[in-house]
Amino acid sequence: MSAAREMLCDTARAVFAEAAEAGMAPVEAAGFDLLLVPEADGGFGGDWGDANAVLRIAGVAVPDLPVAERILSGLGDAPKTLHAAATVGLMAGAMGQALALSIEHVNTRQQFGRPLGKFQAVQQSLAVLACEVAAVDAAAAAMAARLDAAGLDAEAADFEIAAAKLRANRAVGIVTAVAHQVHGAIGFTREYDLHRVTIPLMRWRGLHGNDAYWAERLGRQVAGFGGRGLWETLTARAE
Amino acid sequence: MQGFALYPFDPPGDSSALRTDLRRWLADHQPRGDIVRRANCWASFDADFSRALGAAGYIGMTLPARYGGGDRHPLERYVAIEELLAAGAPVGAHWIADRQTGPLILRYGTEEQRQRYLPGIARGETYACIGLSEPGAGSDLAAVRTSARETAEGWRVNGQKIWTTGAHLSHIMLALIRTEEGSERNAGLSQLLIDLDTPGITIRPIIDMAGNHDFNEVFFDDVLVPHGALVGERGQGWKQVTAELGLERSGPERYLSSHALLVALIDAAGPDPAPALATLIGELTAEMWTLRQLSMSTAAKLAAGEDPMVEASVVKELGNGFEQDMPRRVQAVADCGWDDTDDLARLLRALLIASPSFSLRGGTREVIRGIIARGLGLR
Ligand SMILES: Cc1cc2nc3c(=O)[nH]c(=O)nc-3n(C[C@H](O)[C@H](O)[C@H](O)COP(=O)(O)OP(=O)(O)OC[C@H]3O[C@@H](n4cnc5c(N)ncnc54)[C@H](O)[C@@H]3O)c2cc1C
Repeated sequence: MSAAREMLCDTARAVFAEAAEAGMAPVEAAGFDLLLVPEADGGFGGDWGDANAVLRIAGVAVPDLPVAERILSGLGDAPKTLHAAATVGLMAGAMGQALALSIEHVNTRQQFGRPLGKFQAVQQSLAVLACEVAAVDAAAAAMAARLDAAGLDAEAADFEIAAAKLRANRAVGIVTAVAHQVHGAIGFTREYDLHRVTIPLMRWRGLHGNDAYWAERLGRQVAGFGGRGLWETLTARAE
Repeated sequence: MQGFALYPFDPPGDSSALRTDLRRWLADHQPRGDIVRRANCWASFDADFSRALGAAGYIGMTLPARYGGGDRHPLERYVAIEELLAAGAPVGAHWIADRQTGPLILRYGTEEQRQRYLPGIARGETYACIGLSEPGAGSDLAAVRTSARETAEGWRVNGQKIWTTGAHLSHIMLALIRTEEGSERNAGLSQLLIDLDTPGITIRPIIDMAGNHDFNEVFFDDVLVPHGALVGERGQGWKQVTAELGLERSGPERYLSSHALLVALIDAAGPDPAPALATLIGELTAEMWTLRQLSMSTAAKLAAGEDPMVEASVVKELGNGFEQDMPRRVQAVADCGWDDTDDLARLLRALLIASPSFSLRGGTREVIRGIIARGLGLR
């Protein structure tokens, strides 16, 4: 990660920590709406990689606040596809947090005289959860790379946005199910933090295009490429 | 494992030119043959194809030129094998030698072993098999009992390997063998590179459930192999094998070896597919595209000299799941009779039958998940 992005992330963590108590005011004051605005227009001149990193942190710290909307407002009338792309960043963050909470819980909670994490069934479930988180992180990063190569032209990145949002949507079911299962009853309480990420994940799955929407849209695009054309297109788009 | 940061995949040189050249070469040299051989294509054995591919410079790409290799960057090789797999080329004959035996000999072998084996591997003429599993040592690989005792003339090998893919078509086996008498578990093991025409070796076929002869039992009855067969350090076999398995797990074959089915599905669906088919194509594409990012990132990490053991296992776990699910999901949606003779139906049937093996070979699903859990700090 570049030093500039590192600093941006530190700022985001500090601002979102405050926002978790105070609501949107600190986010507005910090000027996140200028993140994607070019420097020439008085903005921060960030790219989608920066936005993705900030959204990932927002997905952990303030999943209930409209941070994605705030960032995109700087672009004027951002298309629905860009809102979907932003949601993927939030989802990656929230899923990472669901995994982190789960690991911490199974390492501390004891049953049968051992931490839950020592039981093979629990280990195997968490391995599955970790794979989903890795997949969504990778999808979000590759989508960001394409958006940046296309100068944030959502239409030019339609394939990658569709693939990433769909992959993230499909991960939600597994991630929320496993995280809640390994937590037991404590994860079902209002007091414990897990629902702060799992409920937003459930909401985001249907927001800006559910599975069926993106799958059919992507499938029609691919049908247009033809069987062999899929591979040719896929490799050409990334090079 | 905190967040899967994508590692930049940045091969030197012009990788789109490499793709174009190889596609053109394949258009001229890939056997037309049976479409079913394009599925699970790293099990399709074709020595003529391998020799032609070797002559064209696409085998042993990363080996040094002085051993007949191409002196290319590992990520250039990655691009080439992506293309071969996506085309469903019959790469089975040289696959193991190119992917792991050659690199392992280069890393741990003596100068004599390198000169003796690497040029043939790079020409696509020397084929290798992996001698790990035994009747009593499957998931529990540290239970291997096949033994070698050092004598004045060389090593005396006794015991049995099983499930050895391609042993009947290979020239050499890289075998994990107990060289230290009385040793237990993962101590006292070494890797021996054994010429399969050595007297005392018996190879018997095991026919798989698809009716194919791919794997074998290999018996060693007082087989005398030279002192020079030891690869790497005596007693360090376990460590070397673990490194070898790392090379094995994250390659594009983990999600691309059934690509022929996706191609056939898209072609059968046509440009204006019914909603259920369009949806399935979209879902499979999203998963395949994501797996490609994970696999490329892991390859880039390996190439940079890091040890992405956990990431490699993530690729295998997700890739196996994807390839295993794909034929089931295609069958659930596409209109295919079991005995239909069109491309899609035949590929589908072949892959439905082959797919149980995907989460067994190269480390079972449970073993792989265990490695990931260790990476999470749970074990
Ligand atoms: C097509 C194919 C090709 C192969 N090619 C080769 C080859 O070329 N060379 C070679 O050496 N081997 C090869 N193998 C063998 C392969 O590596 C083994 O099948 C694998 O290691 C599993 O061993 P096993 O079959 O004895 O199953 P077992 O170890 O008996 O396992 C059976 C089941 O029990 C599960 N299990 C076992 N132990 C545990 C545990 N502690 N906790 C939870 N679950 C457990 C396993 O995950 C599996 O699901 C091949 C296998 C196949 C199917």
